[in-house]
Amino acid sequence: MAELEAPAANPELKELVVEASRALALLDAPRLEELAVSCEALNRNLDSMDVGEKRELARQAREAQADMSVLRRVLQVTSANRNVMRRLREMRERRLEYDERMIREAAGGGAEAEDADGHN
Amino acid sequence: MGTISSALSIATGALDADQEGLNVVANNVANANTPGYTEEKPDWQENAPITVGKVQVGDGVTETGATSQRDRVLERRLDQQQQLASASSTRLTALNDIQALFTPDSGSSSSTAGDIGSDITSFFDSFSSLETNATNNALREQVLSSASTLAGDISGAASSLNAQSAAIDQEASGVASQVNSLTSAIAQLNLEIESSSPDADAGTLEDQRQLDLSKLSQLIGINQVTTENNGLSITTTWGQLLVSEGQCMQLTTGTVNGVTDFFLGGTDITLQLAAGGGQLGGYLTARDVDIPGALASLDQLAYSISTSVNAQNNSGTDLTGATGTVANPLNIFNEPAQVAGSAAAMKVTMTDPSQIAAAAAGGGTGDNSNAVAMANLASGLIVNGQTTINYYSNFVSTLGATVSEVQTENTAQNASVTQLQTENNALSSVNLNDEASAMSMLENSYQAASQVFTLLNTIMAAALNLGDQTAVA
Repeated sequence: MAELEAPAANPELKELVVEASRALALLDAPRLEELAVSCEALNRNLDSMDVGEKRELARQAREAQADMSVLRRVLQVTSANRNVMRRLREMRERRLEYDERMIREAAGGGAEAEDADGHN
Repeated sequence: MGTISSALSIATGALDADQEGLNVVANNVANANTPGYTEEKPDWQENAPITVGKVQVGDGVTETGATSQRDRVLERRLDQQQQLASASSTRLTALNDIQALFTPDSGSSSSTAGDIGSDITSFFDSFSSLETNATNNALREQVLSSASTLAGDISGAASSLNAQSAAIDQEASGVASQVNSLTSAIAQLNLEIESSSPDADAGTLEDQRQLDLSKLSQLIGINQVTTENNGLSITTTWGQLLVSEGQCMQLTTGTVNGVTDFFLGGTDITLQLAAGGGQLGGYLTARDVDIPGALASLDQLAYSISTSVNAQNNSGTDLTGATGTVANPLNIFNEPAQVAGSAAAMKVTMTDPSQIAAAAAGGGTGDNSNAVAMANLASGLIVNGQTTINYYSNFVSTLGATVSEVQTENTAQNASVTQLQTENNALSSVNLNDEASAMSMLENSYQAASQVFTLLNTIMAAALNLGDQTAVA
């Protein structure tokens, strides 16, 4: 499989982090997947960086730290929201199952009565 | 027994149902831009089958009304997150105003707080200058001028904080009447809903109640409890009853220790409201925690500078050979009796520059040793075990950290509200998305964002280790 090319532009780490928080707030999954690909490419390039590039990345990392705290918190609230939605879905599924059971019970009761009638 | 008219009835019923369905769709489109409107979907009820001879024939469907596609669990989660976002947003605005008072370089003669950090440095530097020529009148005047700038900026900042507190207090009072108006409306809607739709969704009435609940959630922290017959009880997050079905309890205000307190049924619930969320929670936290905290730090700074500088000046000899006494002290600043209120009251009381005691007691008028001692106060641990500049610097840093922390919380909470609104819109509003795709969007976004976060975390840790040769925990 061909390696994905690094993005043409070189956004600073801070911009990547802020963009990730924004995309997550908007539930922009395609954009987040693009950012993940960019981050993977950047991660692969770490070993081949020269001293100057590493120093530059270290500066960017320091500047992005506060925004990483924001991303961490947005992830946490997203996780909580996801749990709410999952529970909501489970509740609905249980309700549907309950309704079907009720229907089955009602149908079973009717059948028994019919059988009894039939036998009679 | 089935007849030909029964068969016709099936077809007619189906047509009627289709028409009702169209009416509901038309209603959705017409209300697409109505705030709080929830999409209604037609409810179809299967009619009892008709027996024709030994064969059962279905009797079609009858449209039995329309049910709003709302989900109370999601709506309550949204309300809860709005309460948090609203509180942090209100608090953040107040904190930004506080921080602006102490932002370096914001100071000019018209600025309320000026630049206190520079003022402190300039003030003690003026004693260093005086050391070089202890009898020089211009240098003595420079000391008083620097002292006056420092005192003016500290007292100006304190005044601004007090004014901000008063303005917030007024805003908070206004929230109480908005809360009362909304709880009254909700109680009235409860009665109407219980009367008209005790067993089913009340459609537009329910929409209106949800809209009012959403507005109320932006004002204060609340809990909702569904009661019989589709009614609703509302309490504060600490459990004090605000609405019980058709009745509402009015929030009242009263002045306690110079600020507005909030009462419910005679009980002061100000502390609970401050911790509960919503705008009111944000206002009260700013008024009762953030502003008093900043004022206390300023008071301590003003108290320590004033008492230390006065004490040092009183231990020396002024240009006329006089030494300060209890009856006739040589105070540069007004001497504070206690820490509280020192910042607002800070001012220069000395008007005659010759009263600056540059000489040590008995040192003669040309002596500069007390001026040296006063300049050395800059490096003395005179404010709670810290130097004045370090104390002020730590105060500003702590304030900045608080602002940053609240900013982070606010961003995260707003993100949460945005996400929930997206989910809720997909479920409740006139929207082509369905619940499954909304859930899938949330799951996919979370998974991708987790991956981005992990990768960024790895990159940043590696970058800091490689770039600075410093280990990152």
